[in-house]
Amino acid sequence: MEMLHYPFMQRAFIAGLMIALLAATSGSFIVLRRYSLLSETLAHVSLVGVSVGILVGISPLWMAVVASLIASWLIEYLRSVHGMYSDSVLAIFLSGSLALAIVIVSLSGSFNASLFSYLFGSILSVSSEDLMIMGGFGSLAMGLLIVFFKELYFIAFDEEVARASGLKVVWLNFMLVTIIAVIIALSIRVVGTLLIGALMVIPPVSAIRFEVGFFYTTLLSIAIALLSVVMGLSCSFFFSLPSGATIVLALLLFFVLALVMNRR
Amino acid sequence: MPLKFSPSLFELRDLYFSKGENAILKAVSMKVLAGEYCAIIGPNGGGKTTLIRLMMGLEKPTSGSISLFGIPQPQFNAWHKIGYVPQRSALVDATFPATVREVVAMGRYARRGIFGWENRSDKEAIEEAMEHMGVSDLRHRLIGHLSGGQRQRVMIARALASHPEVLIVDEPNTGVDVESQHRFYELLRFLNKTAHIAIVFITHDVGVIAEDISKLFFVNQTLLLSQTPQEILSCDSMSRLYGTPAHVVCHNH
Repeated sequence: MEMLHYPFMQRAFIAGLMIALLAATSGSFIVLRRYSLLSETLAHVSLVGVSVGILVGISPLWMAVVASLIASWLIEYLRSVHGMYSDSVLAIFLSGSLALAIVIVSLSGSFNASLFSYLFGSILSVSSEDLMIMGGFGSLAMGLLIVFFKELYFIAFDEEVARASGLKVVWLNFMLVTIIAVIIALSIRVVGTLLIGALMVIPPVSAIRFEVGFFYTTLLSIAIALLSVVMGLSCSFFFSLPSGATIVLALLLFFVLALVMNRR
Repeated sequence: MPLKFSPSLFELRDLYFSKGENAILKAVSMKVLAGEYCAIIGPNGGGKTTLIRLMMGLEKPTSGSISLFGIPQPQFNAWHKIGYVPQRSALVDATFPATVREVVAMGRYARRGIFGWENRSDKEAIEEAMEHMGVSDLRHRLIGHLSGGQRQRVMIARALASHPEVLIVDEPNTGVDVESQHRFYELLRFLNKTAHIAIVFITHDVGVIAEDISKLFFVNQTLLLSQTPQEILSCDSMSRLYGTPAHVVCHNH
């Protein structure tokens, strides 16, 4: 408990637990829709925002939110309106955004420690301002996920019947990718752009192994994400390791446990 | 004395639908009335499923109009009045984390609205639909762990949970054993005759339900016939419609 006496650790825990809750809840929907690569892609797009932010001296977190939002809407537009294959669209955005980020970083001439912390997460980097941004956007995102939980679940299970029963599926899909874009952009301080995909995907995938229905799968997924963040941040503090990497390793531990406990 | 009439649930007028250069449906006009049991038959690729998807608003017609319960489709919003069981709906991912109860509850979502939590009448409707379909005992089982016939009953229970006035079922017996098919036809008969739910049913096996249906539509790009089954189910007319020699075998279950 000694680590919680440090203000930077308090901020890291608040941010980490908030992100875990949001990532695991929204992650359940994208995993069930076989859309897991979306989180990875938007994380790479966030990196473009971070690079631009560092280059022009505007808050990288804000720039990451903007870049991630624009990309999420473009991806959903190409998928739902133009009928392009999801995985192809995501592959284009994933590699394209990484290329763009590299060019921007090269132009700025600095692959510095600040960028390194955005790539892999750093518990030292969460400021009070970051927490306020995360609290505001995070509450809004969580509120929308709770209000539209049943509709998003219906769409994940059977999109055609959901549409036939009068749900505004196109609108709800745009809303979901928007929420995910915001969550990913907010997560990069703690988990880093290269590792946030794991926080969205591994908890639901592990929880699904327990075969307990969607409501309990989501709760289990949230529990796995919260525990992983606590374990990961603690290891990061005691062993001076990047927090993103330790959180993902904790997630993998739960995944292996879920596999072993539910062998088919 | 007041005039007696059956209100039309679906009315399609001069409907055309094409994808690119391909005309899929041409000049289709048809009506489904309250309480009717209608079968839609026709060769594969003849546009039967497209016709249903147009009725459900899942596709937009190239031209023509569709009215649901007397309201033009673009303005219609009482979708809970229509239960829809699409083709291959019983083919579910075996690992999907959805219990039978959770799937049946989806049938109430359209009625509940965005901020509506599950209330007492929702719970009763869900229980009633599961009871009706004989899946109450399976409520905690994952849908992917059930047999094809059981899943089919769960999907119908989901459609019934919204208390629909019409049930649309698109070739539901894909991957289902013969005994389950037999139970399924009995169930449709019960829903139509006892619960007074109109049925619109796409099938290739019209002989089995010939005695139950009140109207038969033969669709092959256009609506070729809309008659009673007795008028259409002869070797001559079936051979003419399918364009190949056909033998009609009626079998009573």
